[in-house]
Amino acid sequence: MAKQLGFFVDINKCTGCKACQVACKDKNDLPTGIRWRRVFQYEGGQWVNQGSSVIPSDVYAYPVSAACMHCQNAVCTQVCPSGAMYKREDGIVQVDANKCIGCRYCSWACPYGAPQFNESLGVMTKCNMCVDLVDKGQRPACVEACPYRALDFGAVDELQAAHGNFNAPAPLPDPNITNPSVVYNPNKVTKFTGDTSGHIMNLEEL
Amino acid sequence: MNTREWALIIFTTLAQLAVGMLFVLLIVRSYASRVLGADKAAAWTNTPLYSVPVIMIAALIASLFHLGKVMNVIGAVPNLATSWMSREVVCSVTFTVLTVLFAFFEWRKIGSAALRIGLAWLAVVVGAVLLVSMSATYMLPAQPAWNTPATPINFFVASLLLGILGSAAGLVATAKSQAEEAGVQDALKVVLKSCALAAVLLLGIELLILPMYIAYLSTQGLAAIRSIYLMATEYGALLFLRLLLVFIGAGVLAFYLYQKASVAGGEKSFGTLAYTAFALVFISELLGRVLFYATHYRIGV
Amino acid sequence: MTEPNFLAKALTETAITRRSFLKWSAALGGTAALAGGMNYGLKAVKEAAAQSVEELKTVGCYHNCGGRCILGAVVKDGTVVRLVPDPTPKSEENLDSNPRAIPCLRGRSQIHRVYAPERLKYPMKRVGKRGEGKFERISWDEALNTIADQMKRIKDKYGNEAFYYQYASGSNWNGPDSGNAVTRLLAMFGGFVNMYGSYSEAAYGQIIGFSTSGYSGNSADDIPNAKLVVLIGDNSVVTRAGGDNAGYWVMKAANQGTKFIIIDPIMTDTVMATQAQWVPINGGTDVALLAAMAHVMIKENLYDKEFMATHAVGFDEDTLPEGAPANSSWVSYVMGRGPDGIEKTPEWASPITGIPAETIASLARQIATTKPCAIYQNWGVQRRAYGEQIVRTVPIIAAMTGNFGISGGNSGNVMNGGYFPMSGIPVPENPVKASIPCFLWPDFVSRGEQMTSALEEGGVRGVDKLSTGMKFMWNHAGNMIINQHADVNLTTKILQDESKLEFIVTSEVAMTPSCKFSDILLPETTGFEADEIITGEGHGMKGNHAWALYNHQIIQPLYECKGIMWAAGQLADRLGFGDQFRDGHQTSDDWMKDMVATAQQAIPDFPSLDDFKKTGIYKISNPEPIIAFADFRADPVAHPLQTETGKLEIYSPALAKLNNPKEIPAIPMYIPEWEGVSDPLREKYPLMMMTTHFVARSHSTFENVDYLREAHPQALWINVRDAEQRGIKNGDMIKVYNDRGEVHLPAYVTNRIRPGVTNMPQGAWYSLDANGVDVRGCGNVLTNYRPTPYARGCTAHTNLVQVEKL
Repeated sequence: MAKQLGFFVDINKCTGCKACQVACKDKNDLPTGIRWRRVFQYEGGQWVNQGSSVIPSDVYAYPVSAACMHCQNAVCTQVCPSGAMYKREDGIVQVDANKCIGCRYCSWACPYGAPQFNESLGVMTKCNMCVDLVDKGQRPACVEACPYRALDFGAVDELQAAHGNFNAPAPLPDPNITNPSVVYNPNKVTKFTGDTSGHIMNLEEL
Repeated sequence: MNTREWALIIFTTLAQLAVGMLFVLLIVRSYASRVLGADKAAAWTNTPLYSVPVIMIAALIASLFHLGKVMNVIGAVPNLATSWMSREVVCSVTFTVLTVLFAFFEWRKIGSAALRIGLAWLAVVVGAVLLVSMSATYMLPAQPAWNTPATPINFFVASLLLGILGSAAGLVATAKSQAEEAGVQDALKVVLKSCALAAVLLLGIELLILPMYIAYLSTQGLAAIRSIYLMATEYGALLFLRLLLVFIGAGVLAFYLYQKASVAGGEKSFGTLAYTAFALVFISELLGRVLFYATHYRIGV
Repeated sequence: MTEPNFLAKALTETAITRRSFLKWSAALGGTAALAGGMNYGLKAVKEAAAQSVEELKTVGCYHNCGGRCILGAVVKDGTVVRLVPDPTPKSEENLDSNPRAIPCLRGRSQIHRVYAPERLKYPMKRVGKRGEGKFERISWDEALNTIADQMKRIKDKYGNEAFYYQYASGSNWNGPDSGNAVTRLLAMFGGFVNMYGSYSEAAYGQIIGFSTSGYSGNSADDIPNAKLVVLIGDNSVVTRAGGDNAGYWVMKAANQGTKFIIIDPIMTDTVMATQAQWVPINGGTDVALLAAMAHVMIKENLYDKEFMATHAVGFDEDTLPEGAPANSSWVSYVMGRGPDGIEKTPEWASPITGIPAETIASLARQIATTKPCAIYQNWGVQRRAYGEQIVRTVPIIAAMTGNFGISGGNSGNVMNGGYFPMSGIPVPENPVKASIPCFLWPDFVSRGEQMTSALEEGGVRGVDKLSTGMKFMWNHAGNMIINQHADVNLTTKILQDESKLEFIVTSEVAMTPSCKFSDILLPETTGFEADEIITGEGHGMKGNHAWALYNHQIIQPLYECKGIMWAAGQLADRLGFGDQFRDGHQTSDDWMKDMVATAQQAIPDFPSLDDFKKTGIYKISNPEPIIAFADFRADPVAHPLQTETGKLEIYSPALAKLNNPKEIPAIPMYIPEWEGVSDPLREKYPLMMMTTHFVARSHSTFENVDYLREAHPQALWINVRDAEQRGIKNGDMIKVYNDRGEVHLPAYVTNRIRPGVTNMPQGAWYSLDANGVDVRGCGNVLTNYRPTPYARGCTAHTNLVQVEKL
């Protein structure tokens, strides 16, 4: 059995630029509206009066780059009625477009919003970790794209050995639902899942 | 709400109507057989019973409009092992096949009466499993607004309520053509009184569930609270309309129906009351389903 | 379920899918594709796909962020399948001195820029009013004949001083298709009025000579050697985003644990990503902050007295040059002994800057006592009403804190970097000597005859006064005619008077707002459609490395697009000096051979053109960072600065001679801005508005690219408090206005900008709705056409506006 593959995201190195998102869209020729990788801008805090000045109090912001988590407990594959959504031996979750009936049920079940419906094709699409590149021994387009080298991918146990096993930065959902194959390296302001002090700020996510 | 979800609104409501009607009509059939004899009972109840497969086929056709790629449905291997939707699909198709067979056998008088009624009851069992699968389909951990006991309760209550009022309307209609048959009108009165009582009871359950549901949701995190917010704001008027319609249909009109069925000479109001009650409740359940799909909020990102 | 948002809807309506487009253009070639239709194309592609082989070819990102990063294009059957970042093998990458030039999100979207629906397809002539956007297709012949006729007519009537080559930066090839093709043409035609300064760094570039004299400070790769980094108006991770650019070195330092202090009204992505101590200052008050910090350092004896005595002029009374009046030194100014009599205490600076006095004092102590401390300014801080002042102040603090000319420190100048020794297309000496500040070109149009060498009359250089107004403008790969210049509505009026500027040619790749104000449009090829060479030194901010890149033509030119070198040559033929223009260069390769030869002169093992085409990339690097002014620090007598006095000029005798102490003082001073924090106009327009560079654009380049618009929608940044007062929620449509204009766009309601300050990222394409209101978020509808006092430069960050919910 091949090892479960997953992504690594170093929030300390991420500037929130979305080169990963754009490179993913370029590689996979995605139409507008479909974003297999997204970068959430999470922000909180407030401005307070201090004497005659107005100053920021606990104002924080950090980006969370997220694609499909290729979960151990991939609810999308479990709920899929046609068996189109499946998990490879190496743990990559992908859609067989020849089987997908386009019921979009997986998109209801996935708390990461990974499966996205392509209207013109009539089927679900999602991050497949650039499986064609991975099979050739190359790295996924998003990982390769990061100008700040904030992304990586590999066997999850190896990523965990190198970077720890944190996988629950806010605003991502509780990892207990799906057991995501991902490792995040939080920066010093990163909040934990379930945090209510901040908001997703991206206008394109409204 | 995604426009394609109209297909699901129609599918779930019609399927619940079909299952509920079959169940109610079989009970009426068994009652009528006792008081009227098998032939008269069949003549009175068969037309409404034949409508069940028709309604169900309409439901299935509607469901196809939900799909992005209908062509792939053919030959798709169902994922019965883990997918409740897969089970829902299989149950829907099985239910449809069984009701079609029942109707065909009944029409052509193929097989014994007992066998045919047995087939119909088998369909009811499959229908019940269908309702369970349909509920479980929506009870996803990522969907707090759906992942509550209110989903199966609402689906079963809707099925029964629609089934009762749909059956009542159908039985009133066929009873008219049977007016000269002795005893049909009396049996109809008994059936309508029972239906009216049951409808009021189910209405009570629906009205009771709602505040409990909202109270439960309010403890289920941000996505659930967003759902409540949507129900209270953007969809508040729709929710009110739904409640009003079901109250009038299953409450006020059922009450009058009960009254008219209890007095001599009330027959001429049966049609108006039964049809209107069914229509109002059907619309109310459709609106309820619109709310169901419009106000769910997935957790996560 | 969430509905796709307004933007996604708008985009799906206009987007063409790239691969389908590629398929037909590949199968049918350029223009035929449009006539041919899709089915035939798809069928042909399917047939061709059987014997397809993927190839990797280097292409460049060639715009004006300065990064000029390296892309690999995966090409299959004459179509671009996808792009990959700098294909230099990882084994050859040295993350400490020569990291790969991984392009940012902008570079990664190049395919969608090339195949954008806005591409200019054919030569066109204007048929409506300027700005209306009504054009008629014409042939290349007609376009070139028209231009040649107009050039001859205007030269005959007004002379060569009526010609102008517009400031522009959309395309930065060394050649062959560089803007030099046009200036070469114009110079050979008798000349054109020159420009000086820039929109980016006019104040910095013109005034730094009166301070440190050298342009740049330490190279960016020295930043990781600092213990503390102080950035003033710098957002490197966005504006220098490529994988080997300044942002990389900033992040490298941050990731190794170096502390950052960033002074900026906005919690920029650089503040966020470096997890810096954010000093959210009121825009335009940086000098007040630094003066108050100097006050703390002087009072608490926290500065390098010896260095200031031996290396600086005018720090205190003892080092004032001869002839300087008493009490005109920096110490006198700061300690309240100067003409204004105000002591520049933290308490004085606090209400001006918005920073609490104790924070100012603690910043001063941190910066003075952490060694080494790298203090860099960047250009964002000087595109303001009195931009010159902060430019000269930062080096004072760098010097006082002992960081001038040392590794891990900095002189206070902008970052430095490597340089690649390869020249571009040669331009003969311009017979016209007149030169104007580039920002003042509308004055050249509307009142050219009155522009003189006096600063307030135009700051013309080379001649005492201009002889005529501008009558002919060539705008190559630029959006300065309307979009990127201040006060769009004023510019519109000036340009719509066709008796003034009689003829405008724009050579461009897409129908920009500036195109709509032009008379003849020439459709240009993009980098995918032509062979070009570009060098990557990123305005010298990349770190101590550089490279040359061969940009391969990977597709046939789309439509009727042509390179500018071809068009200029055709014009030279029509004007009668075609042979002189070509000078024996018949092909692109001929020009590029010359360029390669200049590189070979400096780098003997630089490959031949043929070999360079094969390798595509040639990188050079130096493991040692550049330490600016290190020799001056070691021995100021033997290695003087290039200033008048040879020292760090805090007091500039040359500026003193200008005798304008209020706006161009001899020592840098805090000058309250018009439309700044203390302008009474704030009663009417209470919000300051900046127009910063934006992550999704290089100025206005890339603005039309669907992938980037989707990733980073244009919006006005506004603080939560200011938004709440106006009932505005994140994403609401708002109206931003002042006396100059009105813009409608969404609000980005955030804590990441200080209250009282807003930001409309620059570069959105000016686009009017039916009511004549810009609805795309072009900040220049609201900016001032009012130059800085000395450089006569752009002041795009100093504006007052009001905001309302729509």
